[in-house]
Amino acid sequence: MSDRSVAAETQFFVRFGAKQRIEHFITMIDFVGLVATGLPQKFYTAHWAQSLIATLGGIDQVRWLHRFFGIVLLVSVLVHGAGAVSAILSRRVGFSMAVNKRDFFDVVKTIRYYLGLEDHPAPFDRYDYKQKWEYWSLMIGNVIMILSGLTLMYPAVAARFAPGEVIPAAKVAHSNEGLMAFLVITIWHIFNAHLHPDVFPFDACIFTGKISRERMEHEHPLELARVEGRPPPAPGHGH
Amino acid sequence: MRRSYLLFLAVLAAPAARAAIPAQDESCLGCHGSDPTMTMDLPGVPAADGKAQPEKLSIYVEEQSFAKSVHGDILKCTDCHEDKKDYPHESKPFKTKRDVTVAFYEQCKKCHFSNYTKTLDGVHYQLAQKGNRQAALCVDCHGSHAIGHPGEPRTRVSSTCAGCHTKVAETYAKSVHGKALTEGNNDVPVCTDCHRAHDVSDPRAGALSLRTVDICGRCHTDERLMKRYGLSTKVVGTYLSDFHGMEASLQKGKRNKGERLAPGCTDCHGVHNILPPNDPASTVMQANLVQTCQKCHPTATASFPKAWMSHYEPSLKKSPLVWSVQLFYYMLIPFILLSLVIQIALHLWRVVVNR
Repeated sequence: MSDRSVAAETQFFVRFGAKQRIEHFITMIDFVGLVATGLPQKFYTAHWAQSLIATLGGIDQVRWLHRFFGIVLLVSVLVHGAGAVSAILSRRVGFSMAVNKRDFFDVVKTIRYYLGLEDHPAPFDRYDYKQKWEYWSLMIGNVIMILSGLTLMYPAVAARFAPGEVIPAAKVAHSNEGLMAFLVITIWHIFNAHLHPDVFPFDACIFTGKISRERMEHEHPLELARVEGRPPPAPGHGH
Repeated sequence: MRRSYLLFLAVLAAPAARAAIPAQDESCLGCHGSDPTMTMDLPGVPAADGKAQPEKLSIYVEEQSFAKSVHGDILKCTDCHEDKKDYPHESKPFKTKRDVTVAFYEQCKKCHFSNYTKTLDGVHYQLAQKGNRQAALCVDCHGSHAIGHPGEPRTRVSSTCAGCHTKVAETYAKSVHGKALTEGNNDVPVCTDCHRAHDVSDPRAGALSLRTVDICGRCHTDERLMKRYGLSTKVVGTYLSDFHGMEASLQKGKRNKGERLAPGCTDCHGVHNILPPNDPASTVMQANLVQTCQKCHPTATASFPKAWMSHYEPSLKKSPLVWSVQLFYYMLIPFILLSLVIQIALHLWRVVVNR
């Protein structure tokens, strides 16, 4: 979704532009803020939750902080959504995050590779199916969190437009979706961005914006070929 | 157990009491126990117009009622009236009957020290400290010579408090608890069950309202007791797992300026006017709920009370939407996490195999 240029002499490619890097940074900080002020509310009877809430200045303070981070999330989702829509409409870039048929075959192929039924992993384009899954999970999750969060923030307003039962339902959704997001990020994102053998200990790509040619060959061979105007590489080029 | 033990003691002690009580060892009752009209003149305090209203203090003690009192077998007159060991005896320069009561406040602590210290944390003592001479002291509730066992019968507790707290007592008498009490039900709370007897806290500060979960919960989570009335014991658990209960538990009575304390039981159900939810006058009656919610949610509309699940756990029948959302996540979360973990495990396994 961003302009990319080849920095041939250093053999680095620009993978993420400034806007994407800033968006990731804000999301990261905001996510930590939301988790730190949200999870203790869900598990408020636990000792760790109560001391965290006390450290942050009491429950009322924690609720205000949570709402602040929530509004930051709302704004960042709107900015991101508007940017993506306008970029696609103006046909400046292709919609590289779109899920297509190929992704489903890639899932099967990757699992077969893990099981030893294939000799080579599936070659990926700009975003592999795992990245697409995480992106769309985050986007759908954000929408659920924002809508349920606003419902909980303005319950009387929500009850004017919908039956009162949406409020406890929103609470259940918010609480569970939040827990799931936390667990997915701690398990999946931390693995892929930190513990993954290819990037261990830390994939700095989203912070620097740069990716090496070697990693492009490994992780995004289809994109590399497209950028360099070559036909897609033959299987076996990957790991 | 304790009661039957006391009864046993009383049976043993009763004939003895009739024969002789320690108070009879002294000659006080010779005068003070013979003439029911025996009084002492107190000058009274000058009012705004400068005129004092003289008062008559009865100094007659009915021997039998003292003998039957909790102190009958134990105390002599001079144990409390320490300065009256000789005859003739002068009285301290008391101006009013209230002066006498106030002067005796310190007497009881000689024996009842722990209850005395509890009163120091009580709202009555705080008021007395601020100069309110009407604030209740030991003898205002317990009496002086005819002191019985506290709470026997339980109706006496409420009628004792009613002596000063008339309006509240009237409201209580019409409530579900008060009505049952007058019908001889001993399960229901009397004043002291919620407010405590000696360290009565000031209910206006909000601390008592936060304690309602424990106070009301004592009975309302008691399976055996609630079964008698067909009431649910899940009322406290459902409250605590919801927004109000979380907020109230964490606030622990502390609030910053401009912040409101989260509601406890009494904020919705009422305090002294608690009625069953099917009573038309109940604050939690279906038709009255919006009004009750509006106390904190001023913009609440008719559909708003449904936001509260009336102490029911989510079920397909009572709240299908909440129940479905919950079920959805109960299935989704394990499914997603398991898929991710399996994928990571397979991935790492393949990495190891490749090497």
